[in-house]
Amino acid sequence: MSAEEWQVVWFTAWVAALSTIVILPFGLGVAWLLARRDWPGKSVVETLITLPLVMPPVATGLVLLEFFGNHGVGGFIQKHLGFRIIFTWRAVLLALCVMSFPLLVRSVRMAFEGVDPRLEQIARTLGAGNLRVFFTISVPLAMRGIVGGMLLAFARALGEFGATIMVAGNMPGRTQTVSLAIFQSVQDFQDTEAFRLLGVSVALAFIAVWTSEWVMRRKKF
Amino acid sequence: MTLLLKNISLPLAPFALEVDVEIRGRVTAIFGPSGAGKTSLLDLVAGLRRANSAFIQMDEQVLTDTAHGVLVPSRLRGVGYVPQDLALFPHLSVRQNLLYGHKPGNGGQVSFTFERVVEVLEIQPLVQRRVTELSGGEQQRVAIARALLSSPKLLLLDEPLASLDLPLRARIIPYLARIRDEFRVPMLYVTHDRYETLALADEMVVLVGGRVAQAGPMQELFSRPANLAVAGALAVETVLKGSIENMTNGLVMVAVGPVMLSAVEQNLPPNTREVYICIRAENVVLHKGSDNANSARNHLTGVVRSLVQDGLLVRAELDCGFSLTALLTKKSAEEMKLMPGDSVTAQIKAQHVHLIGR
Repeated sequence: MSAEEWQVVWFTAWVAALSTIVILPFGLGVAWLLARRDWPGKSVVETLITLPLVMPPVATGLVLLEFFGNHGVGGFIQKHLGFRIIFTWRAVLLALCVMSFPLLVRSVRMAFEGVDPRLEQIARTLGAGNLRVFFTISVPLAMRGIVGGMLLAFARALGEFGATIMVAGNMPGRTQTVSLAIFQSVQDFQDTEAFRLLGVSVALAFIAVWTSEWVMRRKKF
Repeated sequence: MTLLLKNISLPLAPFALEVDVEIRGRVTAIFGPSGAGKTSLLDLVAGLRRANSAFIQMDEQVLTDTAHGVLVPSRLRGVGYVPQDLALFPHLSVRQNLLYGHKPGNGGQVSFTFERVVEVLEIQPLVQRRVTELSGGEQQRVAIARALLSSPKLLLLDEPLASLDLPLRARIIPYLARIRDEFRVPMLYVTHDRYETLALADEMVVLVGGRVAQAGPMQELFSRPANLAVAGALAVETVLKGSIENMTNGLVMVAVGPVMLSAVEQNLPPNTREVYICIRAENVVLHKGSDNANSARNHLTGVVRSLVQDGLLVRAELDCGFSLTALLTKKSAEEMKLMPGDSVTAQIKAQHVHLIGR
């Protein structure tokens, strides 16, 4: 593989992993609130979070482009913080985060719902506050669902195409991910290159699934 | 310890929990049929559930007062809770479970040290294990120890022995008695088993359909159930309909069909005629062969219809013109060579014949 191809692979794996890490704390928090609390506007938030899962990715990308573009929040950020979001690697990260967030939340929420609330209640009677209960009871007992959700989110991020191309463009060396590179190669009749990248995608997916299986097996109780 | 439960109102599925009671016992049994709201009551005391209205005060501390918006969080209540399903943390070892809420000492004179609690409950050999590797009785003891180690001012036990078989129950009861005597933690003990109640409790609250049917010292409730619901909940074996024939010098003569029973006057409302007669099986003494003279007022001849073993005891169903249940030890039944079909005399002291107006 060429240096350019390696760069694409590294960039994709790195941004996808970073997006999973970035959404993890929010995902845990939101999933817990959805699983364990009733609050006004809960159904609206639920729907908003799920939207990117059912909307065409390109449409989601367009929303992000408008929102983070120069006339939206993006302009404000550029003026006051001095960096641009759209058509940079940050836009790739943003697209991956938004697209994979619903998968993480769904999986983690189900895992939290599977934790017997009695265990959390009894932990409270033993003197534990909310945070301690969350980190010592809820999270460890939901660990399988959390790891599963992270894997799903990471896999979704690895293969993201529509939203990324809208908000970050397809710039080799800057915003091009494996999916975009495969598309580009096929467009340019570079089939061998496309197949090499295809092989890399398979390998990345394999490593992700295998790692999570390994983590699960160690976390038996 | 005084636990005040006032104006409690919590809607449950078929009825509402409505309780107003003051608890002073060392071990108070909350007794009642399943679905009577016993667990919900414990949840309210532990602060795990919100009631429509409630005032809960433990000694000087107000824990819940809905009228003034007071709701002390569970973690600050100083209440140890052993729920029916035990709720041991499956991802932690026995030691980690035990230490989860460990606070040595609650300011009182008793200190709940890890070593002492583990010793009293005999769980030293289990400490390194995973909770999933424990037997039912072991899990039970670990759950109780975990609650004790948080140095509670009050221990809530929700049918702690319900999931265990009979021989195992008999083995756990002494541990609970030791906790009561050594650590002197007041306990609220939910159960629908009267043998556990008899072995451990000194006071009891009978809950039927979400309401307190009767509360008071245990002996009093068992021998003087206030009404039929309490008698039923306490499983007083023989409950008969009868009518009072006459009262003289404090002795009441009651007719059950053709049979006359003597009872001691029990402050019945004036002009009561129709009554329920409650006789506890352990107060019926059986005698085989010719009757003997003794202090019991009631001597009833009857036939043994069936003998059923109930733990270490034998339950004899008799036909004395009405059906009467007697409880005797297995050994007595063997020595008497008691068999179904035998003719026997059942002797009951007049003060053990309890009357409830109807």
